[in-house]
Amino acid sequence: MRTRNAPTAAVLALSIGLLATACGGDDDTDTTGGEGDSGGVSGEVTMWTYPAIADEPTHRAFWNDTVAAFNAEYPDVEVTVEIFPWADRDQALTTAIAGNSAPDVVYLIPDQLPAYARNIEPIDDYLSEDEKADYRQNVVDSVTIDGQMMGAPILQSVLALVCNKQVFDAVGQTEYPETWDDLLELAPTFQAAGFDMTAYGGDVANSLNLSFYPLLWQAGGDVFNEDGTEVAFDSDAGVRALEFVQQLVENGYVDSAQLTTEPPLEQTRIAQNKVACVWHMEPQYLVDFWGAENVVVRPPLKDAEQIQYGTVGSLSMLRSAEDKEAAGAWIDFVTSAERAAEYDTAGRFFSTKESVGSLYEGDPILGELEQYAGLTTVGPLNAHAREVMGVLAPEIQAVLVGDKEPQQALDDAAEAANALLG
Amino acid sequence: MTVSGIAVASRRSLRRREARVGLLFVLPVLLLFLAFRFGPAIAGGVLAFTDYTIGAETSWTGLDNLRRMIDDPLFWRALRTTLIYSLLAVPLSILASLGMALLVRRSFRGVRLFRSIFFLPVVTSLVLAGIVFTWIFSEGGPWSSLLGAVGLPDGSWLSDTALVVPALVIVAVWTRFGFGMLILLARLQDIPRELEEAALTDGAGAWHRFRYIVLPELTPALYFLAVIETTVSFQVFDTVYVMTGGGPAQSSYMLVFQLYDQAFRYFDFGYASAIGLALFVMTLVVALIQRLTLGRDR
Repeated sequence: MRTRNAPTAAVLALSIGLLATACGGDDDTDTTGGEGDSGGVSGEVTMWTYPAIADEPTHRAFWNDTVAAFNAEYPDVEVTVEIFPWADRDQALTTAIAGNSAPDVVYLIPDQLPAYARNIEPIDDYLSEDEKADYRQNVVDSVTIDGQMMGAPILQSVLALVCNKQVFDAVGQTEYPETWDDLLELAPTFQAAGFDMTAYGGDVANSLNLSFYPLLWQAGGDVFNEDGTEVAFDSDAGVRALEFVQQLVENGYVDSAQLTTEPPLEQTRIAQNKVACVWHMEPQYLVDFWGAENVVVRPPLKDAEQIQYGTVGSLSMLRSAEDKEAAGAWIDFVTSAERAAEYDTAGRFFSTKESVGSLYEGDPILGELEQYAGLTTVGPLNAHAREVMGVLAPEIQAVLVGDKEPQQALDDAAEAANALLG
Repeated sequence: MTVSGIAVASRRSLRRREARVGLLFVLPVLLLFLAFRFGPAIAGGVLAFTDYTIGAETSWTGLDNLRRMIDDPLFWRALRTTLIYSLLAVPLSILASLGMALLVRRSFRGVRLFRSIFFLPVVTSLVLAGIVFTWIFSEGGPWSSLLGAVGLPDGSWLSDTALVVPALVIVAVWTRFGFGMLILLARLQDIPRELEEAALTDGAGAWHRFRYIVLPELTPALYFLAVIETTVSFQVFDTVYVMTGGGPAQSSYMLVFQLYDQAFRYFDFGYASAIGLALFVMTLVVALIQRLTLGRDR
């Protein structure tokens, strides 16, 4: 009997073993060194960031150097920087937070802050007073929710109008558009010569901060009312902005391929030197396709207002961070004026600190762009901003494909959006 | 006890022991299935009755999410699109599978190569297929060029609110017919050739041999395929995500896409779970209907 039962027992043991292996966690114990010299700050910090510096080796080298410099000051803090792709970053972060495997520090932009606000440890108390006071006020405002900074800004990006000199030369135009009316006036000439006046990315996966919202702001409108309790994009300004887009589409002044999908940049007419001006792209990304000599940076388009979107990238600490002092020290170190300026220059961004001043003086592209930093906004800091985009973007697309008129589309979107706002 | 009685008891005892050993062999998979598939499914069902979101207190909300779902026009739109997509994709996929299985049923030179080639789309990544088909259906792409050459409108199907679902159906049929072909081919090769030869001798034509001999033998496999294809169609996501993003103007916005949006864009896991629960009930009901029709007495 004993012999016959042996296989049964072996299989049972194997089953339990396999299950234990599958379900078991990582039992490795923390081997971080003891108390350090810097105020006893020690522990482990894991940071998730994204390819803000497009060249991967340069990006990786920056973080390696920064970790080494940080460790010279804080030898007992072990920092791991993980660089993830931009795509699906919210999905990855959400899953990690839900699964209790979130990083301690993560790169976020203002658009994301309200959604994660519950999970974020306000950073005010972890930043040194000098560094905190050095931030520009509009930068601080862009990461502040309920009076607390939800992240330490490390970079600022700026969008303006970018035109292709090669295309203007081919058409024989020397004047660049400054207003919506200029754009519409010039468009037939470019169209007759086989060029698109501009481009509009209507794919619902795109952020409206890059496409429709700048037009809405320029028309004098806004996404939400002042207290954020209702949407305001269905105003006359909103209708005017959407009618402007409709005009561009119906007259064939933009490439229809980008109205419903977002092809890779190299497959677009923008990359093929067939588009005169764009307002949704940073000029540095166009240099490879247009040539630096053809990239002309102009002020943001103007209608009732002259305004554009620009974002602020910040490092936020999650509440789940175990070694908050260590994470705070790391964030303070990385976002210091000197270190952040190095990061901004490598990534061709702009500084968030007063003390840094101009990073690109004399640069015909970035130096020009830097001048318009004051004309940018980070967009609505509303907890429902993304949901509202989710209902508005398809309605805008319905106008682009000819299914709805602007007023109807905005009214329908407003009804759905206000229901979300409660 | 008689000798035969002892023999019967011994055989029973042996079978019980074999059953126990068999059970233990499947136990690891069973436990993993319970822990990682059944458990999360039950948890998802429970979440549908809460307001669970990341980092906040979770409270019991009763039927609120289901009520919200009933009042949500986007849910009904996504449901309708999912049903239209499935009504097109499931029969077409099965028909294509059947057609290809009949084509490669006979042995001829190179048939194995053809079978392998036809199965290739099944093992191709849906994301990759989605990217390739996005190009195929794009304005100026092969599909629109072909339509233009025969005098039909040559716009991008993915930008057309009426044609985007048929475009997704074509991709679904292309990616799935190989699996159905394999299942039906296995069943076809089990049908005794003598039956068809006898019918041929009696003067039955190709259609009658198919209708009265082949098709009845295929019914269990067709039932299986119908259930699988329906389930897969209800859960379509990858190609929608890659090719259309639910657009244009939400004309290809389907249930799993809405579930994804609610969970991972808006972090409303309670509502997302309610949509998942509705999808489960819908799949179950359709599978039961299929069992009552196609799967009778099987």
